[in-house]
Amino acid sequence: MEIFTYTFVQYAFLAGTSAAILSGILGPMVVSSRQSVASDVLAHVALAGVGLAAVFDFLPLVGAFAVLMVSAILLWWLVIKEQYATDALAMVFISGGLSLALAFMHIAKNQAISFETYLFGSILTVTQSELLLMIVLTVIALLTVVLFWYPLLSIVQSPVYRVPYSHRPQYMQLLFFVLLALTVWVGLKTVGGLLIGALLVIPVLIARNYTHSFKMLTILSVLVGLITMYTGLTLALFIDVPPSSVIILTLISFLMLSTIAKKYLL
Amino acid sequence: MAVQNNKALITAHNIGKKYDSNIVLYDVSFSIAEEHIVGVIGPNGAGKSTLANIILGFDTDYDGSIKMKDDIRIAYIPQFSNSDKYVLPLSVYEFLRSSANKYYGLQHNITTTEISQALEHVGLSESQINQNVYSLSGGERQRVLIARALLSNPNFIVLDEPLASVDYVARSELYELLRHLNEEHSITMLLISHDVESIVSICNEVLCLNKTLHYGCHPTKFVSSDKFTHAVSHKYKI
Repeated sequence: MEIFTYTFVQYAFLAGTSAAILSGILGPMVVSSRQSVASDVLAHVALAGVGLAAVFDFLPLVGAFAVLMVSAILLWWLVIKEQYATDALAMVFISGGLSLALAFMHIAKNQAISFETYLFGSILTVTQSELLLMIVLTVIALLTVVLFWYPLLSIVQSPVYRVPYSHRPQYMQLLFFVLLALTVWVGLKTVGGLLIGALLVIPVLIARNYTHSFKMLTILSVLVGLITMYTGLTLALFIDVPPSSVIILTLISFLMLSTIAKKYLL
Repeated sequence: MAVQNNKALITAHNIGKKYDSNIVLYDVSFSIAEEHIVGVIGPNGAGKSTLANIILGFDTDYDGSIKMKDDIRIAYIPQFSNSDKYVLPLSVYEFLRSSANKYYGLQHNITTTEISQALEHVGLSESQINQNVYSLSGGERQRVLIARALLSNPNFIVLDEPLASVDYVARSELYELLRHLNEEHSITMLLISHDVESIVSICNEVLCLNKTLHYGCHPTKFVSSDKFTHAVSHKYKI
């Protein structure tokens, strides 16, 4: 138990808590609006921000944050224009983000930045300043979702239930993309950009069988995310496997158990 | 035109719509008098939903003009989508609150009491407020959509194929509900439907549409005429 007294382990649990709460809150909205791939899109684009930071010599997470916010706004604008199919847009952003990242890292040859840290996470190396920023952003996102809960719910429903002569949903959609970008940003250093999608989607798939309301689904998704995060992180401390890998595999195990329980016990 | 413009709640003048070279609507002009129920019938691809989208403000890229009275308050009742088996749970309360709040043009956020009253008005019980809206029967879901429309206190409702997926008994009850809302609450309606028999029985007048309006057609004769199968309609006074 001594291992839990180390500061880097405590930071890891707190960072994991932030990632699980943010993913749990946004996950049901992401699944309901069929935007699961959007987290992957933003994660790839964030790598361009990491590369940009390498070229101009500033903190990688600062570069990722700036690029994520700009990309969220651009993605929203292109989605509401409805000029291109969303899956085609996703491919443009993913390939564009990776190409830029590759180019930037080539230019900044001398920088000792590892893409792997942001692709697959590095939760045990979270610094105090990164943790503080994660907690502040999580609290802001949480308050925003509480404040705009019902308007946000409306934009993740089928567009057939639109309200005549109302343009508000478009701005709610922008808010949704910005919140998703924040979630991806927190995910970059915790479970990794490529794995944050699992933390967004799988808790929802587990929780959906046990509730009749969206609010309870969201609360259950947060709980599933937290339990998974703590279980996976604890296991990773005692076996020599990357934490993000153990966390996501634990989540998939829970999904399998839940599916079996639903089929044979419920 | 049967309705004098000064009594009309809404007047459409020479409405036209095309996608590239494909004409969806042309030269569509009509008026809807206050407190009337006006039906629109026509085959698939006749432009019925396109016309509804233009009136509802969802589609602003069209030719012609639409004039509305200043005090008009529009609500929309679509067909309840139930084809998605992966849809996530959403309570009746959440469904109603998510579209009836001040971000959607209402003066205030809807209260639980108002939601309960709206549900009662459409024949649903208060106990159903916490049920998953997607687990309700087809008729109950459509009643929830009517309650959703009523929460915005409308004086004009556009209904686009609202009862297409509802069984015969529920459909009759829902038509009675629409008639009640029209007669007792003075709500004007534009009702788009394939159900010609029901539409004729409930509507004050029917627009026969197949890309343009065919005046002088009787609705029941219209559906069996070549104007129905080949694009051509008009308003028939019942």
